[in-house]
Amino acid sequence: MWRRTDRCMLSRTLQPEMQYATLSQQGETAQLGMWVFIATETLFFGALIFTYFVYRNFYPEEFALAGKDAVLWCGTVNIGLLLTSSLTMVLSINAAAEGRRRDLALWLAATAFLGTAFLGVKGYEYYSDYQDQVVPAVNFMLKPGSAPAGELFWVFYFIATGLHAVHLSIGIALMLYMLWRARRGELTPAYYAPLEVVGLYWSFVDTVWIFLYPAIYLVGRS
Amino acid sequence: MKTGAKREVAFPYVIAWLVLLLLTGLSLLSAFLHLGTVAPILEFAIAAIQAALVFILFMRLKGPPSLKWLFAGAGFFWLLFLYGLSMTDYATRRGWP
Repeated sequence: MWRRTDRCMLSRTLQPEMQYATLSQQGETAQLGMWVFIATETLFFGALIFTYFVYRNFYPEEFALAGKDAVLWCGTVNIGLLLTSSLTMVLSINAAAEGRRRDLALWLAATAFLGTAFLGVKGYEYYSDYQDQVVPAVNFMLKPGSAPAGELFWVFYFIATGLHAVHLSIGIALMLYMLWRARRGELTPAYYAPLEVVGLYWSFVDTVWIFLYPAIYLVGRS
Repeated sequence: MKTGAKREVAFPYVIAWLVLLLLTGLSLLSAFLHLGTVAPILEFAIAAIQAALVFILFMRLKGPPSLKWLFAGAGFFWLLFLYGLSMTDYATRRGWP
């Protein structure tokens, strides 16, 4: 993204790519590109959540009954972890903007750690779901008093949280890549657009969980 | 702080984070209050407020360039098409499921 011959004098000779007039324009374009991708992801997860609304509307009692078996503490801890990780992500961007390299690395590592902790809790939750026999097509047992349509809740649960976990894993990999670039001194106040773009992606993955949380964990609790 | 680097303030983001956690708590509480059909409406409304906070503050929609609003809004705009046109099917079905 900048001329390789200038890498040793990075902060003084940073040049935009050929098609951009300024570095600032390059950074803004990168952000807009990520917003386009986020728009496609909104449609992707939005369609999935739409199917949830349709089936919940058609089978409200079955969904309420099935929802009781969702592990509430796992979902709640996880939303706390992700909301905090969005904060640490923004703090890392602030650190990059101010040239505070140690803080940048610290907040990036914190974000990656919180994301990994989320996956750990999710992994335990999947294990617990398997023990509870609520895994459709693998290990599903209809509980007494519940109807077959309740299995639809669990189909949605595994597809939605599985896809979310894949997105989060990609986010963690990107976070580690940003950490590597930060240590090489490639994220400076002059240009830190890659970090901003990864931050956008990360906060979007957080937003998806903000909607999945009431859909999965708060149904049928009263 | 290096020369030429702009000063960033962490305080608004910390406040936003606390508000987000508080809203999560409210949503969790509302699930146990026997609100009936109002409960999911309230919970998803809180989720929408949380998403708006994340988009506007954490994802810096309110900063330059303001063209970001158009791009961010595009996803939501097309989602309205997806939901609206799909509902023309589900809302007009008779005798199913």
